Amino acid sequence: MFKDAFSLKSLILTGAIFFVLLILPPIIPRFYTYILAVIFVTALVAMSLNMVVGHGGLFQFHHGAFYGVGAYTVALMLTKTSLPIWACFVAGPIMAALVGLLIGAFCVRLTRLYFGMLQISLGSLIWAIAFRWYSLTGGDDGMHGISMPPIISSSNGAYYFALIIMAICITVIYLIFKSPFGATLQAIRDNPDRCEAIGINVRRHQLIAIVIATFFAGIAGVLFVVVEGSVFPDLLFWVFSLEIFIMCLLGGWFTFAGPILGAAIMVSLKTFVGIYTEYWTLILGIILILLIFFLPEGVWGYILEKFGSRHKEAIEKGSK
Amino acid sequence: MDIGQAFTFSALGSQFLVGLSRAMILFIVSAGMSFVLGVLRVPNIAHGSLYMIGAFSAFSLSNLLGGGSGGFWLALILAPFVVALVALVAERSLFCHLYEREHLMLLLFTFALMLILGDLVKIFWGADYRSIMAPDVLQGSVSILGAPFPRYNLFLLIVGPWVGVGLWFFSNKTKIGKIARAAAVDREMVGAIGVNVSWVFAFAFVLGCFLAGLGGALVSPMVSVSIGMDHDIIMEAFLIVTIGGLGNMWGALVGSLIFGLTQSYGVLFWPQFAIVFPYIAVVIVLTWRPRGMLKSVW
Amino acid sequence: MKKACLTVTVLFCFFILLFIYPLSSDARPIKVGIIDCYSGPAAVFGNDALNGFKLALEDINKKGVLGKKIEFTTRDTKFKVDIALNMAKELVMREDVDVLVGTINSGAALAVSDAVAKKEKVPFMVWISKSERITGEKGHRYVFSTGENTAMAGKAGGVALSKKPYVKYWVGGDDYSYGHDIANAAWRNLKALKPDVEMIGKSWWKPGEPDLAPYITSILGAKPDAVIFCTGGRSMTNIMKAIKATGMAEKVPIWVHTGTDHAVLKPLGAEGPEGVMGTMDYHFYYPETAANMAFVEAFQAAYGGPPGFPAFHGYITAHFIAEAYKKAGSVDKEKFIDALEGLKIESPAGELEMRACDHQVTLPMYLGVTKMSAKYGCVISTDIMTLTGDEVLPTCDEIRKARGK
Repeated sequence: MFKDAFSLKSLILTGAIFFVLLILPPIIPRFYTYILAVIFVTALVAMSLNMVVGHGGLFQFHHGAFYGVGAYTVALMLTKTSLPIWACFVAGPIMAALVGLLIGAFCVRLTRLYFGMLQISLGSLIWAIAFRWYSLTGGDDGMHGISMPPIISSSNGAYYFALIIMAICITVIYLIFKSPFGATLQAIRDNPDRCEAIGINVRRHQLIAIVIATFFAGIAGVLFVVVEGSVFPDLLFWVFSLEIFIMCLLGGWFTFAGPILGAAIMVSLKTFVGIYTEYWTLILGIILILLIFFLPEGVWGYILEKFGSRHKEAIEKGSK
Repeated sequence: MDIGQAFTFSALGSQFLVGLSRAMILFIVSAGMSFVLGVLRVPNIAHGSLYMIGAFSAFSLSNLLGGGSGGFWLALILAPFVVALVALVAERSLFCHLYEREHLMLLLFTFALMLILGDLVKIFWGADYRSIMAPDVLQGSVSILGAPFPRYNLFLLIVGPWVGVGLWFFSNKTKIGKIARAAAVDREMVGAIGVNVSWVFAFAFVLGCFLAGLGGALVSPMVSVSIGMDHDIIMEAFLIVTIGGLGNMWGALVGSLIFGLTQSYGVLFWPQFAIVFPYIAVVIVLTWRPRGMLKSVW
Repeated sequence: MKKACLTVTVLFCFFILLFIYPLSSDARPIKVGIIDCYSGPAAVFGNDALNGFKLALEDINKKGVLGKKIEFTTRDTKFKVDIALNMAKELVMREDVDVLVGTINSGAALAVSDAVAKKEKVPFMVWISKSERITGEKGHRYVFSTGENTAMAGKAGGVALSKKPYVKYWVGGDDYSYGHDIANAAWRNLKALKPDVEMIGKSWWKPGEPDLAPYITSILGAKPDAVIFCTGGRSMTNIMKAIKATGMAEKVPIWVHTGTDHAVLKPLGAEGPEGVMGTMDYHFYYPETAANMAFVEAFQAAYGGPPGFPAFHGYITAHFIAEAYKKAGSVDKEKFIDALEGLKIESPAGELEMRACDHQVTLPMYLGVTKMSAKYGCVISTDIMTLTGDEVLPTCDEIRKARGK
């Protein structure tokens, strides 16, 4: 299995990119180190979402809820308990996966749009609780100044920590993608009825995929706390979830690495366009429209199509 | 908290009426979203933005037409048409080209539209708070069951059902309404018998947005008309449509009633946590009936 | 395909430009970085503050400070904390600003105060956000506040209401931290000054809730002696309209902090309710001192409308910055902070001091009652009672205790 998963060409390419990212921090200004760290965290969330959307075909409209749960869990544990830091870090994704299991179990009973709408409803309940439970979560003030060990809370430290964790997680996601489980998931995405017919338990597969995806979302949530040092209810708000969704679509949801590019584009857009104008949501909206019309397979999907013949089939099949 | 006071007939009754009037605006807006959802099968994320444009248009129109009572009534009638026009332009120029595409692209488009419209409203109207006054006949309150009931809420109680009746008439008794309903169930069949499905979609979208604009215009005398109104209403509309049954207009009514009444009674019984009540109601409904209370259109 | 190629190329160039766009260098002016909300319902306040700031800078830059001009750049946070953090870090790390200023969102203010101001050691002056935590328990050397906060408002409300004979109170407001803070501060102070008051109930609604009639009817049903409303800017208009529509002000006395805010009352026109008690830290029509009148006239001429309290805060922020640099003698962040502590300036509201122990400006509070004004075509605050800054600020000891020193 592993031999087939990694082709030499893509392995060299990824290795090169990783090497470049490793040596960047001393060269580039501090702000770019920070933005790249934010991109890493966002890329991980987007990749975890794409597990269920791109590979699984589920309308996971409120993925941000699990990301937020992961972030809040680690923040709460670090500030309210005196458990060792690694325990708090692990608790984040576990909690996110548990919530994912709970909400997922509710939602997999339904399909497509119902699934999405139901998830938005349940996710919004989590947001309302975090927003309202002021004594526990700090409400809309959020929690700030969450203490981190200095090696990972400095600009460079956070960067490397995020980079390494993200790299490990993406590798794992890739292995899942290439595994028989991943293949089944994609088959379910393409034709759930046929899969049922050949005896695959569609609901169970989808639920497992959701739990795995929300686990990674929880990890991303923990990374967020490391990079920013704060949590706030905005993370749990549905608009943010839709933004993650759009990152996947923007990058190309039928490709593997698309969401990473989508995340990079969105974060860069938000930050750098925001520097020059207060109307950057307008610009974002216009760019989205351009992408919908001219690049429906996403930016990465388009690049792959032009330069890589291997993925062409998958994309053609997907855009029907 | 004094429980004894909560259970007086007067309190229960007046909360019922107030919840009902709130439900009316929710119904008008959600019915619009439900209609679009039913025919086009996509939740219109820009629905809130059109609601906001409706409110702002009502403000501008009422000022343009001289303010005061006359101006208000005219603005109330014209504002939804302004919104419908905006929707038509967006639909015919951009949206309609996406009907053949992957379903999620439509969703993405409505999100992009929400972003664009949000900023356009800011550019066009600016960030200041605006306010419209209700006409004199609708100001103040009447005493119903011993509690002051704002006249404007009474007005909403009258308007809401008429809009509902109008919608029912439209979709069941007119030709185009029936075609739209048919397209919601089976668009290929409708296309096969020679109807231009694209124009049916356009009609559905424009009608849905008209209702959003109407909701915005109706709510404008009660609130500060400001940017950010779009985010407020969209989540509620989403939830109502989900618990009512996707695409089902009567479902939108049921959902709105649940929402409005749980909130107004929540205020009475547990005012500290009233904000959570509608969400809890949603969770309960969806646990019991995951597809919504009433049958979805598809 | 060609269109797609073009789009990708355009986007690519766009991104390269964004990344490598050179920052302005040359003879370095004093740079102030402003993060605030210019979108959404809070934008009206953000714009007002910026206008007040710009007006002050016009005067200040005529003579310059230490031979330099003060320049500013703004970033829109869209009332989101993560964007505020991004922008604040960008201003500090990339634009290399000397002072950070902002914002209206309390969550953002607290986040930036901790993650950027304290961590990067850059002075941060908060000018609209009203959370008492900013200079209270979460305060530190690098954060200042030029606006009033919930502790001050609560004390003003408590002082004012303790003089009245009401005993049974109902408290209601926006269900978010600002609403709760005002409620807690007001009740804490009221109860301390008049121990026999009793809270018979509480109601909390969603911020921006359009229909507040159900809450009002249920409150009226409980028959309190008086009501305290803790609404934020967004719901303020809604509650005023609901009060007018249900005629609540005629039935029961009401106190609302920032209830007499002109930004809210002006659009209401004749629909503003009369007889509502409100506190504000700035009115453009009171006191009618020469300094205030001059400020209002200049503002009106420049921006077409009278200044609100954010404009006032923005104005004094600019003056505090200028005077602090003059006193410090150099553009050094640490010297700037040392100079700011204890600094006194003249303002449209009289002399103001930046208290050294907590970095809070000693703003006065004006308590008044709304009444229709023919001159302005809307209701304004009348019968105004002034509480000085010293009367409403928490004591330095209380601050030290809150910060856990």
